Amino acid sequence: APYCVCMLKKSFTNTLKDGRYKRGGVGLGRNSDHCLQLTVLWIFRCGLHLPAGSSSTRGPAGKKAPKAVPTTPGGSKANVVPIASLNPYNTKWTVRVRVTNKSSIRTWSNSRGEGKLFSFETVDESGEIKVTAFNKEVDKFFPLLETGKVYYITRGKLKVANKQYSTLKNDYEMTLHSETSILPCTDDQGLPMVQCDFVPISQLEHRDKDAIIDVIGVCRSVEDVSRLTTKTSREVSKRDIHLMDSSAKMVTVTLWGEEAERFDGSCQPVVAVKGARVSDFRGRSLSALFSSTVMVNPDIPEAYRLRGWFDKEGYALAGQSLTEMRSRGGGANTCWKTLSDVTTEQLGQGDKADYYTCVATVLFCRKESCVYQACPMAHCQKKVVDQHNGLYRCEKCDKEFPNYKHRLILSANIADFGDNQWVTCFQETAEIILCHDAESLGRLKDTNEDAFDEVFHKANFTTHIFRNRVKLETYNEETRVKTTVMDVKPVNHREYSRRLISSIRKMAI
Amino acid sequence: MSVFESPKARINSSMLSQYISRPVCFVGRVEKVHPTGKLFTLSDGEGKFASVELNEPLDEELSGVLEVVGTVSNKGTIMASAYNILREDKGIPFDLELYNEALKVVHDFPQHYPFEIATSG
Repeated sequence: APYCVCMLKKSFTNTLKDGRYKRGGVGLGRNSDHCLQLTVLWIFRCGLHLPAGSSSTRGPAGKKAPKAVPTTPGGSKANVVPIASLNPYNTKWTVRVRVTNKSSIRTWSNSRGEGKLFSFETVDESGEIKVTAFNKEVDKFFPLLETGKVYYITRGKLKVANKQYSTLKNDYEMTLHSETSILPCTDDQGLPMVQCDFVPISQLEHRDKDAIIDVIGVCRSVEDVSRLTTKTSREVSKRDIHLMDSSAKMVTVTLWGEEAERFDGSCQPVVAVKGARVSDFRGRSLSALFSSTVMVNPDIPEAYRLRGWFDKEGYALAGQSLTEMRSRGGGANTCWKTLSDVTTEQLGQGDKADYYTCVATVLFCRKESCVYQACPMAHCQKKVVDQHNGLYRCEKCDKEFPNYKHRLILSANIADFGDNQWVTCFQETAEIILCHDAESLGRLKDTNEDAFDEVFHKANFTTHIFRNRVKLETYNEETRVKTTVMDVKPVNHREYSRRLISSIRKMAI
Repeated sequence: MSVFESPKARINSSMLSQYISRPVCFVGRVEKVHPTGKLFTLSDGEGKFASVELNEPLDEELSGVLEVVGTVSNKGTIMASAYNILREDKGIPFDLELYNEALKVVHDFPQHYPFEIATSG
């Protein structure tokens, strides 16, 4: 109900100058040395000013007694000012704000004492500001405030913002104190749900590492939750989600803790993250911080715009991810290209490596110098030098061994309808293409040349999904684009067919 | 002209009426087999039915997805010349709905899929 009446009873004790204190009596006014019991009426949303009560004095315990009556009830519209106008030099104001992010209560204990605090972020049409409450104010206001709800706040203390703890766009931040009043406001007309300054995903490449930004996108897919142990031996949950926005680019956002566990990516929701940190891990990626706000299907215009765009056209786009993906082969976050695209789009010719996925057929594999003798040490792949005395020397490990292990470097030519490409496959990918492990292949080379040749013949005209890395490399003063196969997978014909049909339909529009 | 020597359009049930007296290839899932063994019903990727008639009764159990080659009668049934069972126990299971999508693409863009021109003496 817009008008409701609340009765609060407060009592306090006055002390006399000589330290004695008296109770009882009636009377109002300042410096009364009588004890009073007052009934206070607070009427919401009404511009009533109640008479000033006695100023508080120190009670016997030495603690400040609460003020009898607020001088201005929070419901006063006359004094409502925009957040953007708040500053330390003006104390008479009321703001009408929405709480957008409420932290949990944190306690501290150090040489100077101990205490507790919580903070919350607020927003109105003019801007945003961070608010912190300590100790007694925590007890008073923590239960009252709910994220998403609107309140009148009167008489908080303003000071210069500590940017280390807050990334909100405001030079100041607010601290609540004993004279602060916070009242719920049922009228949330005109107040935004949250203040965000979204950066298009395509622009993230130009943002610095560690920058704090806001982002919004459709969550096309999510990874499973995984658990990590931090440096301080704490276990934490982590989940990667993949967002795409109307720039048709995608980025991976890492969520942590409960947010990671709770996240439900089914139905491809719109996800907005306020205060995510830009990372250069795997190219460009984003990480949600403790201070970030992750909103699923937020009630803001950008979310509706994105939903509309995605349902109409975005869903059919392959989307190129700024974050290097480790698992590929299918799904909406793969960057599918044809081999002729690689040339026309000049992939790999920038300063960074480019990654793409394609379906291609092996035309030829070079069997000469495909197998080499490598250092037998576990993680060493260096070619060993035959000392011709039964020993093999590894320059990297600086040791000689009586044995070696066989390893593969395969140079192959792959092709599709449009173009062909020479690629290099190292151990794992070479073994998949040749359908043979390095060790037995190495032995076959020495013992049965026909069988060895047969392995290479059989690999010809096999079709796979290749995940390739292409980059400019300089060797002997010659700069060339080199392609390395990062991963090889069998073609999933169902997915491939669906993708082709979808591309055909799109091209026909 | 023998059904096997001419190009056969791949069709689904909705297209039967447009291919009367023409050789076709129909892929569908076995629904019902008539006790005489000379007639059975197939459902296509859209769930619609087609009737298939044989010259000789069946000598085996039919189930799963079938590819039938034959001519469409003026009753809209397929007079089968041959059939092929797409075995479910081998390879990747046949996706009939996806096949239907591909079939629609072929019919929507005949300029890119000129199968009729393929015959030569």
